[in-house]
Amino acid sequence: MGFELAMVLGFFVVSGLALWALLFVGRFLRLRAPRPEKLTTYECGELPVGPAWFNFNNRFYLVALVFVALDVGVAAAIPLVVILREAAAGSGGWLVFLLLFGFLLLLAVALAYVWKKGDLRWLRDLPAPECAPVDTGRPEPKP
Amino acid sequence: MFGNLVSMRLLAPAVVLGAVALFLFLASAFVRRRETGRWLFPGAALIGLAAALVTLLETVRLQYLPDGYNCLLGGCTAFLGMLAYDPLAVFFQALVMLAAVAAVVLTVGSPAVPQARRGEYFGLILAMTVGMCLLVSANHLLMLYVALEAVSLCSYLLTGFDAKARSAEAGLKYALYGGVASAVMLFGLSWWYGLFGSLNLQSLHFCMLGSPALSPGESGAAVVALLFILAGFGFKIAAVPFHQWCPDAYEGAPTPIAALLSVAPKLSGFAVLLRFAFNLLFDPRDPETLAYAPAQLEWALWAIAALSALSMTIGNLAAIPQNNLKRLLAYSSIAHAGYLLMGVVGGSQGGIAAVSLYGAVYLVMNLGAFAVVAAVERATGSEDLLAFHGLAKRSPLLAVCMAVFLLALTGLPPTAGFVGKVYLFASLLKGGGSLPVILAVVGIVNTVISLYFYARVLRAMFLLPPEPGLPERIAPDGAGLLAAALAVLTLALGVFFGPLAMLAEWSAGFVR
Amino acid sequence: MEHPTTSTLLTWIIFTPSIGLLLIGLLLLTRPLTQLTQATLDHLSRAIGVFFSAVPLVLGGLLWASFDGRATGMQLVHHTVWMRAFNIEYFVGVDGLSVGLVLLTVLVSFVAALASLPWGIARDDHHHFSRRAVPGYMAMLLLLETGMLGVFCALDFFLFYVFWEVMLLPMYFLIGIWGGPRREYAAIKFFLYTLVGSVLMLLAMIALYFASDPGALGQAAFTLADGSTGKHTFNLLNLAELGRQGAFGAAGPILGVAFPRIVFVALFIAFAIKIPMVPFHTWLPDAHVEAPTPVSVILAGILLKMGIYGILRVNYPILPQATLWAREAIAVFGAVNMVYAAFVCLAQKDLKKLIAYSSVSHMGFCLLGMAALTPQGINGAVLQMINHGIISPALFLIAGVIYDRAHHREIERFGGLARRMPEYTALVGLSFMASLGLPGLNGFISEALTFLGAFPVFTVLTIVSAVSVVITAAYYLWTIQRMFLGPLNEKYASLSDLNWRERLTLYPLGALMLLLGVLPMPVISLMDPTLRALIEPLARSAGL
Repeated sequence: MGFELAMVLGFFVVSGLALWALLFVGRFLRLRAPRPEKLTTYECGELPVGPAWFNFNNRFYLVALVFVALDVGVAAAIPLVVILREAAAGSGGWLVFLLLFGFLLLLAVALAYVWKKGDLRWLRDLPAPECAPVDTGRPEPKP
Repeated sequence: MFGNLVSMRLLAPAVVLGAVALFLFLASAFVRRRETGRWLFPGAALIGLAAALVTLLETVRLQYLPDGYNCLLGGCTAFLGMLAYDPLAVFFQALVMLAAVAAVVLTVGSPAVPQARRGEYFGLILAMTVGMCLLVSANHLLMLYVALEAVSLCSYLLTGFDAKARSAEAGLKYALYGGVASAVMLFGLSWWYGLFGSLNLQSLHFCMLGSPALSPGESGAAVVALLFILAGFGFKIAAVPFHQWCPDAYEGAPTPIAALLSVAPKLSGFAVLLRFAFNLLFDPRDPETLAYAPAQLEWALWAIAALSALSMTIGNLAAIPQNNLKRLLAYSSIAHAGYLLMGVVGGSQGGIAAVSLYGAVYLVMNLGAFAVVAAVERATGSEDLLAFHGLAKRSPLLAVCMAVFLLALTGLPPTAGFVGKVYLFASLLKGGGSLPVILAVVGIVNTVISLYFYARVLRAMFLLPPEPGLPERIAPDGAGLLAAALAVLTLALGVFFGPLAMLAEWSAGFVR
Repeated sequence: MEHPTTSTLLTWIIFTPSIGLLLIGLLLLTRPLTQLTQATLDHLSRAIGVFFSAVPLVLGGLLWASFDGRATGMQLVHHTVWMRAFNIEYFVGVDGLSVGLVLLTVLVSFVAALASLPWGIARDDHHHFSRRAVPGYMAMLLLLETGMLGVFCALDFFLFYVFWEVMLLPMYFLIGIWGGPRREYAAIKFFLYTLVGSVLMLLAMIALYFASDPGALGQAAFTLADGSTGKHTFNLLNLAELGRQGAFGAAGPILGVAFPRIVFVALFIAFAIKIPMVPFHTWLPDAHVEAPTPVSVILAGILLKMGIYGILRVNYPILPQATLWAREAIAVFGAVNMVYAAFVCLAQKDLKKLIAYSSVSHMGFCLLGMAALTPQGINGAVLQMINHGIISPALFLIAGVIYDRAHHREIERFGGLARRMPEYTALVGLSFMASLGLPGLNGFISEALTFLGAFPVFTVLTIVSAVSVVITAAYYLWTIQRMFLGPLNEKYASLSDLNWRERLTLYPLGALMLLLGVLPMPVISLMDPTLRALIEPLARSAGL
């Protein structure tokens, strides 16, 4: 065990050294073309509008979440598709198909829910809250 | 071990619950009329839970499964060993579903959850129940982790469901603590997998004690991995030192959710902890002697005993100065995690039976106490101890029910809580040895401490005059009726605990 | 094991008060339907309370008639299986040790129920305990009676424990709701002290259960009432039989201490808190001072007896070796109780507190007498329980009489009351004399028997304890002098003498003091054979 840990240590040391060595070598090999565009955010001439440190709209997160959910669906479907041919050769083909179908159905339900709730529309009116407004614990700002 | 197709039959309760949960989510999006939702959402949730309970009992009757397996006796594993269907799983699944039923009933009259969001709310309760059903059945560490996360995610959302800022804060706190705990657990799992290449629960014992013997470094790493995994369980059952989320979450959550959180995830955590501990500590090749905790693994028993003693002591001591009933019950539930852990330390079939029995009893009495809190909260808008002053005059029924629950939580006869305590202490004292005896002494000292703060509530209800400005009378509502029914059940189980004891002993039959 | 008589009489006695409790509950639950006024409800609950404590008294007469004093075993048993899970049985019965206490309980409970009536209390005194929340009060009193009777009759340890704990809650409420100014403190103190004892008892009980091995009796298993068998037992008679065979000596040590000794100590502490034995006695003065009169009556008359009863019922027969090991300590504790508490009495200004400490002092006699393991000693100890159970309720009623009139109990502030309240003074004199052991009254018999029994065994301790008798005489006589003799305090010139409620409760007790002082044999003959059989094996192994 001690020896293996020493190996790990050695690995860390070597990888650290390798990193520095690569950067060091690159310094000599790469082209040097200093232009003002290289110092901008996107390095391509597209200028950013305003500072990046501000509150993003909540809806970005919502869209990102929906995207992740559907993305995972695709990721989960691929392995099934791969073994579908094999399974079809045996007797379990319809089962695999059913599983895939059920899974996609679940995703469709989720999509329908999100759609109906209006979370796919970028611009929408928020309904007036049914309950009392959120109590933030702070005094109301005076108009 | 069953393949996927046969296993679907055993998964039926979870499938039913999942389908109803999906239906509720869709319905909450598509049902426009509020009047429809008022009866449709809770109705659908109750029907779904009832159907799940029926199908659960149906799986118990599935005795014709291939290879002569019988869930009723030995149990079996499904989905190629991922899930176990045995008496323990069935018992705790039933408990969890009953807790969910109570939460739904408590919600109906509660002002906490906005009517417009009740579809999702009930859907989340059912989704959480699915997670808990999978959790108590989990037979594989990966499955265990996934189920644990499913439960946790739903509980974070439900905790933040109230419109108050405090509720959102509670949800966030809970999520942060939960995230850390599950990360630690996952880290432990990765170590374990790295060491042994297996995450099957049945292999735990052989991994630690099998041949070839582990080198000192490896066994040290395995111990660390196990402690990390234990931390995940500790979070789910709210044992000290993984308990800090608990009072805040209960205080902020809508009262029905606090009630649900205080019993259902805790009990499912205990079920899976029992499964984990017994697979680790018992040698399955030696079913006759069932030698608990061989010398090399005694440290694990000490660790669980330490968790137990700490939870009891700190939970009870911290409960003493609480003036918010939900916080008080939160600390009391931490202490009860400690009591339940005594059964895990007690070991053997008696210990499992004790945990099962006390779990069932705890479900009844704690839900009852929360039901009373919900009823008082609905009438007075407060769950502060002040709202309970003079409750005996304002609502004798609620006060008497609460007294029964508090006595049961203390563990006094003739309530069911006493029977549970007897089982726990008996499981400790049966085997002998100094560790269990010391733990038992800690347990009884804590019983006395706990009386002190439970008696504060008794004092407020019976000994003090009503606070001015509170309603003169509290009319019984759904929560009050539920409390009354549970109080009767608490007393009845205290006198006639035979059937429950039989079920609990049956649930202990999962140790093969 | 054969029992000479089987009967459901005891079950009826135990649970009759519970029927009253259920009736009161029913009245409260149906109130929205019946629309009873508060006054009607109060009257009805009072009637129920008195009636359902009178019925056990009548049944107690029946019990006395059907009890055979010559036999040593259990009589009038009722025996069925309660729960098969832990081989728990519903098993009640009486022998010479418990029959006197059961009779005492039904008597004192009835007296307490009578003393709870507002008869003779000024009409405008709405804060008097007998006018506040009457249905709850009566319900708690009845529940308490069931618990007490159950403890004295239970022959299954589990059942014993359940009844033992059932008493806690009514007592908490009775002190906490209907008590004096510091009632909350007194109530929670009582609750906590007693619970410490009971949880210790719980552990000891479970340890005894798992240590009970039928092999020691030459049997394969213990037989339950319905013929089924079990590996362990809670049956006190079976446990006692095991104890006689020395079976618990073989059980493995716990935390390095021999099994019988640690179990003995746990049980002893549990019972000692209830006695109460110095140094576990501090809850008692608080509880007594704050409790309303009838609750003090029950507390002093019956609850204190349970400690001694428990030691004699559980510790003595089940753990004989440990009993021999501990008997000197018990005797010393007894002597300390007597002398220390008597000295404390001298310093008391509050009449009720004085009586409370005198109870502590008098329970010391029981400890000394039973530790001696002689027939006179044990008879004296048990007789002392009964005598104290008659005298101390009278004393607390007396304190209640003066408190109801003057609204305080400070001895120094009275004076010359004898001129205004001659009847009261006579009864006070009688009770005080009985309590200090004047020959011709009942206290004398038991104290003399105790000293007679203890002297040959613990000579020095007995001489020391005898000091307490002198001090007892001193504080009682001094109290009489300060309260009833001398110049009349004009402030209390208008006090009225006893009313009929007080006469009804005090005269029967006074009559019993006289009767048992002259004729103690009917009571002693009830218990003598049982008590001799109880200590005979112990005394034999002690070489007495």
